[in-house]
Amino acid sequence: MIALNRLTKVFGTQIAVDAISFEIPPGQIVGFLGPNGAGKSTTLKMLTAMIEPTSGTASICGFDLRSQPLEVKRHVGFVPESGAVFESLTGLEYLEMVAALYGIDAAAARERIRQFIAFFDLSFETLTEKLLGAYSKGMRRKVVITAALLHNPPVVFFDEPLDGLDANAAVGFKSLIQTLAEEGKTIVYSSHILDVVEKVCHRVIIIDKGKVLLDGRPDELIARYQADSLERLFTQLTGGAELERRAQEFAKTFRS
Amino acid sequence: MTTPTSTLPARPVPPAKALRRLFLTLFLRGRSSRGLQLKGAPKSVGRRLLSVLIFYALFGCIALTLAGKPVFALAIYLHGMTFVFLGMFVSSSAGEVLFNKEENDILLHRPITPQALLWAKISVLAEISLWIAGAFNLAGMIGGIASGGWAFPIVHAASTVLEALFCTACVVMVYQLCIRWFGREKLDSLMTTAQIFVSIAAVLSGQVIPRMVNRFGDLTAFATHTWWIALLPPAWFASFDDALVGKASQSSIALALVGVLATAGVVWIAFVKLARDYQAGLQRLMENVPPRAIARPAGKSEPRRRWLTILVAQPPLKWWLRDPVSRAAFSLTASYLFRDRETKLRIYPSLAPMLIIPFVFLFQGGQATGGTFQVAFSGAYLGIVPLLAVSILRYSQQWQAADIFRVAPIAGPAAICNGTRRAVLLFLALPVALVFVVVTAILTHGSQLLLMLLPGILVMPIYAILPSVTGKGVPFSLPTEEGKAAGRGLSMIGALVFSFVIAAMAALSDHFGLFYWFLGAELLVVTLLYWALRHALAGKRWEAIE
Repeated sequence: MIALNRLTKVFGTQIAVDAISFEIPPGQIVGFLGPNGAGKSTTLKMLTAMIEPTSGTASICGFDLRSQPLEVKRHVGFVPESGAVFESLTGLEYLEMVAALYGIDAAAARERIRQFIAFFDLSFETLTEKLLGAYSKGMRRKVVITAALLHNPPVVFFDEPLDGLDANAAVGFKSLIQTLAEEGKTIVYSSHILDVVEKVCHRVIIIDKGKVLLDGRPDELIARYQADSLERLFTQLTGGAELERRAQEFAKTFRS
Repeated sequence: MTTPTSTLPARPVPPAKALRRLFLTLFLRGRSSRGLQLKGAPKSVGRRLLSVLIFYALFGCIALTLAGKPVFALAIYLHGMTFVFLGMFVSSSAGEVLFNKEENDILLHRPITPQALLWAKISVLAEISLWIAGAFNLAGMIGGIASGGWAFPIVHAASTVLEALFCTACVVMVYQLCIRWFGREKLDSLMTTAQIFVSIAAVLSGQVIPRMVNRFGDLTAFATHTWWIALLPPAWFASFDDALVGKASQSSIALALVGVLATAGVVWIAFVKLARDYQAGLQRLMENVPPRAIARPAGKSEPRRRWLTILVAQPPLKWWLRDPVSRAAFSLTASYLFRDRETKLRIYPSLAPMLIIPFVFLFQGGQATGGTFQVAFSGAYLGIVPLLAVSILRYSQQWQAADIFRVAPIAGPAAICNGTRRAVLLFLALPVALVFVVVTAILTHGSQLLLMLLPGILVMPIYAILPSVTGKGVPFSLPTEEGKAAGRGLSMIGALVFSFVIAAMAALSDHFGLFYWFLGAELLVVTLLYWALRHALAGKRWEAIE
């Protein structure tokens, strides 16, 4: 479903993504992890054809990223970390606009939107009357997730999708992506909330400084490195082991 | 919660209509909103646009004074002024419309071609340009019936459409070429520079041509002293009118053809040939280049401080900015003036064309016998620099970050406004004033005329503090859509009138040998007024956020 072959992105003299290669089959939920600046978002932006790779190749659903970017875009859904929306549109205006971009007619789009707002416990009145600028962060995130899934894409990229969602919505969302994966969709899930990743993902790929550090099933990796949890494993690998001690030292500076 | 599972066929429908509707909505409604309901949506841009269109329509009535004059004389006035308005509007709007970083996350992963995206944006820009051009030219089209017959309104409408297309395409082409030829590192400053030059060219064309018409008479005759007219776009479109409903001389037919061909060429280059580069430009905006490590001098443990930090910590700025809040606001404003692409794109291209008028007067004053009024006028007009700059600095795409001012334990906006005002005075008004002093000194050979700049320079602090007192001086606190450039003409007219009054008083006092008395009186009035305004500003409290 997704295949990367030595995919590389260089900004000026700095290598953001350094010849990474992996494959993801249909129906798999993959946690895509890494510390800040590791190259996660750049990789996701390349895989959604938002930015061009410097070298290497990738294909999604058999479509080549470089030569068939529009086909790639038709087959992917993307929830960006920014959660950006056009704030002066109502939720419904925004979703109908997105539907039009995928060639979904208004009636079908509205039906699909109704399904999603029922799922996310949003009222249709909110969607038609309120401008997105006035939505809470969680509500806005729900609209962005809806916009990513509206065209029923076989591959979905989530970049910090739970940001702003309340506990109930987060539980529902985790259930949603598991069901989507059971139906054969490929999910790439980038997040810093590692306990969620550990519970939801079939596989994790950890990158740092643009290179793949680890790739495997979460339980197998935890066992192999004798870590208590994925979080511990992640901090071991990415140099965060000292953080707790440093946090305690920093907290002491507040003592007057 | 139940999982939605139905499958929809993905039909490749051209999204052009949806995109066009989107960008028109965004332009009229603004890109961000704090309003809670659709009914309470910020309609200010749409409403302001309507009032601006009415203003342009009324301003266009001046063309009625040219009714009965030859077609070319009327048409060159209309096209010259239209070129100014459109050039300024398109060049100041294009940066934000064409290269909006925030919308990349929303649109770039959708199955739309860069051409479709570009065309949708351009068609909205062109449409609004046509509204402005139509409003301004309305009276002129009616007035032109007297000399051009009943066909004049139709022909002039056609040439105005051509001119609007030419203007839009030129601006887009300049942006596209910047992206094609230069890397991201240089893109921001190049776009600012390009926008400044487009704005200046537009104002110059609008100012120069009507003056030249009066001076040289029939410009379409291609006399040896007017050969350069063929290089000025408004003359091409005026010749279009002249060729079809005017004298139809060979030169006007030739110039009209130049206009049609140039428009077709620029439109093709901007909207077709370079459309592929548009995507590359958008992608470059998204590339988050990690900051390079700053090299530390050997043996030093502290990182290198920026020049602004050093400047603020040294006298005389250290004395001028004793209040820490004002100092922080000063540093914030200065940083945005020098670093922020969006701020630079709005402020410098808006200020540059405003300085054309005082420069024209300065040159006239330098050449004319006497020339006191012209020099005094150009000095007085300088006040528009801080007035306009402080007003423009209110707007930012990061306007919500300004909530920090209200969160901080500060009773009112005075200290923040003071910092911003001082940054504007130091980094914008002072350099411009120095340039004017030098130019005046050169043009007048260091004569007494140099003193005539003083009445204007003295009144600058009043101009600078006015926006703050009227609640328009808090920096970066409003969304950019609230301050569309189309309304800036009103500020120009206001500044023109006030500058005229100051200059007339200065010239009259000079004529009667009372200049120094006038200067003293002005100094007294300005000091008292400034003190009162400072007092009023200090007492201001934060206005409620809706």
